[in-house]
Amino acid sequence: MEYALFLLLGVAYGFVVGLIPVAGATTGLIAIYSFVGYFHNPYMLVVFTTAVVVTSSIGDSFCSVVMNIPGAGGAAATMLDGFPMAQRGEAARALSASISTSWVNGLIWGLLVFLFLPYYSKIVLGFGVREMFTFLLFSVTCVVFISSRYWFRGLIALALGIFVGLVGLDPNTAAPRFTGGLEYLGDGIQMIPVMAGVLAFPELLSAYRMHVQRIYLDNTAIKSQLLQGIKDSWQYKWDGLRGGFIGGFIGLIPGIGGAIADWFAYSQTIAFNKTEEFGKGNVRGVIGCEGANNAQKATSYVPTVLFGVPGAPFEVIIMGLFMYVGLEMGTPSVLADQVFFDHLLSSYLWSLFIILPVSYMFIKYAVKITNVPFQYYFWLILASLVWSSTQYTGMLEDYLMLAACAIVGLLLKYLKFSRISFLIGFILSARVESSYMQFTGLYEWHELLTNTVPLLLLIATGIAMVYGVFFNKAKIDFV
Amino acid sequence: MKKLLITLLASAGIMSAAQAEYTFIVPQKPGGGTSVWTAVVATQLEKFLGEKIVIRHLPGANDIPGFNKFHKELRFDDKTVMISHGGNGESYLVDSVDYDYYQYDPIAMMNLTIVSAHQTGFDPAVGEIKFAAGSGTDPDMMSQILMINGPGLTTARAKEIFANNYRYVKGMNSGDRRLAYQRGELNVTRESTAAYTKHYEGKDFSQVWYSHGVFNLKTGQVEADPNYPGKSFSEVFKAKWGVAPAGEFYDAYILLRNFRDVMQKALWVNKGNPNTDQLREAFRKMAADPEAMAAIYKDTGKYEWIIGKDMVTALDMLRGQIKPNTLRNLVDFLQATSKPAVFKENLIK
Repeated sequence: MEYALFLLLGVAYGFVVGLIPVAGATTGLIAIYSFVGYFHNPYMLVVFTTAVVVTSSIGDSFCSVVMNIPGAGGAAATMLDGFPMAQRGEAARALSASISTSWVNGLIWGLLVFLFLPYYSKIVLGFGVREMFTFLLFSVTCVVFISSRYWFRGLIALALGIFVGLVGLDPNTAAPRFTGGLEYLGDGIQMIPVMAGVLAFPELLSAYRMHVQRIYLDNTAIKSQLLQGIKDSWQYKWDGLRGGFIGGFIGLIPGIGGAIADWFAYSQTIAFNKTEEFGKGNVRGVIGCEGANNAQKATSYVPTVLFGVPGAPFEVIIMGLFMYVGLEMGTPSVLADQVFFDHLLSSYLWSLFIILPVSYMFIKYAVKITNVPFQYYFWLILASLVWSSTQYTGMLEDYLMLAACAIVGLLLKYLKFSRISFLIGFILSARVESSYMQFTGLYEWHELLTNTVPLLLLIATGIAMVYGVFFNKAKIDFV
Repeated sequence: MKKLLITLLASAGIMSAAQAEYTFIVPQKPGGGTSVWTAVVATQLEKFLGEKIVIRHLPGANDIPGFNKFHKELRFDDKTVMISHGGNGESYLVDSVDYDYYQYDPIAMMNLTIVSAHQTGFDPAVGEIKFAAGSGTDPDMMSQILMINGPGLTTARAKEIFANNYRYVKGMNSGDRRLAYQRGELNVTRESTAAYTKHYEGKDFSQVWYSHGVFNLKTGQVEADPNYPGKSFSEVFKAKWGVAPAGEFYDAYILLRNFRDVMQKALWVNKGNPNTDQLREAFRKMAADPEAMAAIYKDTGKYEWIIGKDMVTALDMLRGQIKPNTLRNLVDFLQATSKPAVFKENLIK
């Protein structure tokens, strides 16, 4: 009874959090800190948080497709083809394809992870400082050079994003860097206001001003599109599975996070389908990135549970919550705790099975939003963006930061500089810098050429760069 | 139900922290070590305090801005309590900060220590040490340099060793550090006692090198760590070199180590706060309750609590250790490691 109650509460809460623009699992989990004391049974916290992670990952597709506002960092890639589909009256198809692909990959990778968890330790331990450094180079190269039409402007946007990401504390000297003496910036610029301001706000404004032809979808059309989305997921299963593999692998590597998984998967979908056009409503674009979504969430539990090393930003919060109730990840007591693993696996699977019909049913209501003039819910979305962005300190500086990010977003959009490249630069800047410092602190440069995995990744990076500049025809204009 | 609703509203930011009974300020993000520690202690403390505690996170660089904000404005609220950690103690000595422990009433603190360990089979005296730099790791790095170079080490010589024979690997958080140590990319690591026990105890690849020892409130000296008998820094040093550690660099290390470890976790209110006695009494009751302490020790390791006026004594002892030359040597050395340390003359009594 207790189990069912916490499971259902987690499913409901996670789904709602997923629907809130740019909030995502991390924000939803942070809010749990305030009432974690009510979890007298620690395993119920495992059930609740697992349900939140699973369902928020599926829920966040709705915002991306229907409103062109990312539900979370990872779901931003879904916008590129999902929203154009919604604009031409195929919102239900896009959502169905998105949910189905995300669900199937969540199931596959969830089972692979939770049934064989201890066996992954060798992969995590085998991926050292050199491998991480070269893998980061490779993934950023793929996103910028293979996907973007304006790769040079993409590079500039990437550099700008990296610069913004470097604001804060210099990890080399522990001195403030690029903060202009502002104490508020000492801990760096936070992810959510950047997501909300740079990516979401300009889209919100465009949608407000846009006069879209409303396409009424009756129940028959919605049902037909829902079935079509499921068929699409099957027809383009290799795009989804490839995305799942990419997401699954990135989740295993600590500290990279979900957003890059989805964008990397999206760039590979484009690379593998050279003759197709993306960014204008291609369902394969939706399927490719959504494959990575839940797969990455599932595998990020591997380093978290086995080593006590968070596999993604939301896992930092999970670890803190679990520690609060006496479950410290990576410790022998947890690794020997079969009850913990049973609750993790069962709640993961139950959440998946509950959220699938709920999501399919919700499509019917979500697509109706496309029939409602955007002006009616503009303020609601704006309020939720502001709320999400001001959870850092809740003080005036949070609001000013959001406003500054919104101005940067509008400028980038107007000048056609890829905001996605900017965001990827921003998100990965700390990781790239720390990876560089770790590498140079422990190794010499020539050691990249004498070890198999780093060498292969360097070669792949070079190939991706040359291919992207000279041969790739399947580029899209990133937002 | 009402209580749950209030908590939910608070989590949504609808109810301000000012309306709560007590607000504990944590100078870092949710999920950090001190954040979790505060949540664990607050849960137990509420029972003895009889009032609700709301935790407010004020994160920032080096966990300094939250403490500065407490100093500048929040401390004037009688229901606001600051939670500081060892990194704040280190920053107090060598960084530009606004906060000043001596302007507050101390409530309680946990007198903790840190353990250094190395890969089994690795001899730190022979091989080059590869150790991760991070928040609060400078005393560990200094003690390692002392341990492998013996008595009478000067600051100038320590700077040379740091520059030429030591790899202080930057850019690693605690998770990166643990994985790199397990992989063997790092050959020396450090953990709190509780974390070491949880992550490495019984693992073949790691062995405890030494514990930094525990500060004795009565003598003002660092003594043996009850969790690691015979493995305190001074004991291991003496066993290796035949004499007790001493010298200018050792004094600089001890100063930094004490400000980090003695105040590893501490609670403060403004001087003259009318609730000081109530808070201290609640801590005393909690410390006397075996069930509450068992719940706390599970996460922190078993270390002594210093409560109320005893904490004032401890602070005075720490302050007495700040000698001009010692502080100058410490700052001089840390600057050589790229840290923007500043010599704060006002700290010298």
